[in-house]
Amino acid sequence: MQKHLNKLRWVSLSLVFSMLILLPYLSVYQSFIAAHAYDLLLPSEKRIYDVMEWLTPFVGDPEKELDMVKGTTWSGTFFGLKLSDPLAIVGQSAAGLQVYWPFVLTGLIPVIFTVLFGRFFCGWICPATFLYELNTNLGAWLQRADLPIGQRRFDRRLKYLVLFSGLVLSMLSGSVLVAAIYPPAIIGREIYYAIALGGFGVGAVFFVLTLLFDLFVGRRGFCRYLCPGGALYSLLGRYRLLRIKREVKICNDCLKCTAICEFELDPMRDDFGQECNNCTACIAICPTDALSFTLNYKDMPVQGPGHLGHEYNELKISGTKQKKDVA
Amino acid sequence: MERRAFLQDLIGTAAALVAPPFAQAKVTKHKPGMRYLRPPGALDEDQFLGRCIRCGQCGEACPNRCIKFFGTENGLLSYGIPYITPREQACILCMKCGDVCPTGAIKPVKRLAESILSEVDMGKARVDKSLCLSYQGKSCGVCYRACPLQDVAITVGWMEQPHVQAACVGCGLCERSCIQIPQAIKIIPNYS
Repeated sequence: MQKHLNKLRWVSLSLVFSMLILLPYLSVYQSFIAAHAYDLLLPSEKRIYDVMEWLTPFVGDPEKELDMVKGTTWSGTFFGLKLSDPLAIVGQSAAGLQVYWPFVLTGLIPVIFTVLFGRFFCGWICPATFLYELNTNLGAWLQRADLPIGQRRFDRRLKYLVLFSGLVLSMLSGSVLVAAIYPPAIIGREIYYAIALGGFGVGAVFFVLTLLFDLFVGRRGFCRYLCPGGALYSLLGRYRLLRIKREVKICNDCLKCTAICEFELDPMRDDFGQECNNCTACIAICPTDALSFTLNYKDMPVQGPGHLGHEYNELKISGTKQKKDVA
Repeated sequence: MERRAFLQDLIGTAAALVAPPFAQAKVTKHKPGMRYLRPPGALDEDQFLGRCIRCGQCGEACPNRCIKFFGTENGLLSYGIPYITPREQACILCMKCGDVCPTGAIKPVKRLAESILSEVDMGKARVDKSLCLSYQGKSCGVCYRACPLQDVAITVGWMEQPHVQAACVGCGLCERSCIQIPQAIKIIPNYS
């Protein structure tokens, strides 16, 4: 059952990403409606108008009703509820040197979810993750074609330094600088610029650089080592309740989970820590269904090698095929 | 912003001891020579940069699509910050941007003449009499007719010569509508 969560996650990621493309078009459509000038639109603009009208069939007054869903994952309105990224709140409080409560409260729901589910935003919502994981697949294809792919590893704690220095620089300059280097914020913004304002801005260049970094320096390098938002989510989700647990009795030590993990974690040796984003890729790939979600505030201590395929006389496994040749 | 000035001085002094050229580099808020407006109801420039989280919702809400966003042309600190170039597209004072702004960088202002007059201050129009047609004896009056706060923010006299009043909020519709090239009426932003 939990094996299919990874597919659900891809549905979620694609939905968020397609919303980020749809919302700017809806905003453009609203401005056409506000202008009351359908006859004066260019043919391409008329096409946008018609498609958007067709996509929103039960909306009587688009100018007002389409305001229900606005914004990006960085900060937005969802059916009247204002939600913001916790990094936006921390960054703004640092840059403004003051706490603006109406804004801080918009981050309450994301923070609660992060405390319970850890870095789930990174795995299930983040529009940059969508592109970064596709980028990982591209990297795998390039590797199959014998092209050089970056395999370098750095210290994962580097991103906490990025978060800290980003906040200090925001504090000194009085400008929310973390917003300029946080990929999901950049993606939401740049898609809007490209659709409504006529072209990608400078943030798109930065994002392409991070894609190249992931491809030619280290796999998922930006999320693993540099992302300030990922650092904040990791800290908030340190004592998360939803964790992945390895059932040592049916683990066959195949190492597939460790190889698939985008975040350089080691599920096969019970190493998840605060960095795990609950993406469920390891659950999906496990050939013996040894990994599953569990409710606990800390990880299992290291359980040693898996029992499946080894001769343990007290062990009797039912329902799973034993493979004697897997060490 | 005393605390920030203190922090900057502290770092500046420390930097001056370690690396003198670094201390010379000053943080610039906007380039001299660039003239742009902030959305209506925006806080003062210093506070505005600290409040704005660059979410872009003001631009998305703007039905007139006059709110645009900086790349790096105004410095790195301005990346993603909203601005208005009135000559290209001016603000129609619909006040939707203040309602969607999550951080209050743009204050929510009711769409009523009194609240707009008292709370919005984007800048003030200034007439260049050597360019203005009405002052050259060719009665024009287009800026007066474009003004959403007619007779309060702008009045016309002999030959429809415009006189900007103190109540002008600086929406820029007069500058947008001016038929002279270059425009004879310009908004002087309130931060300059």
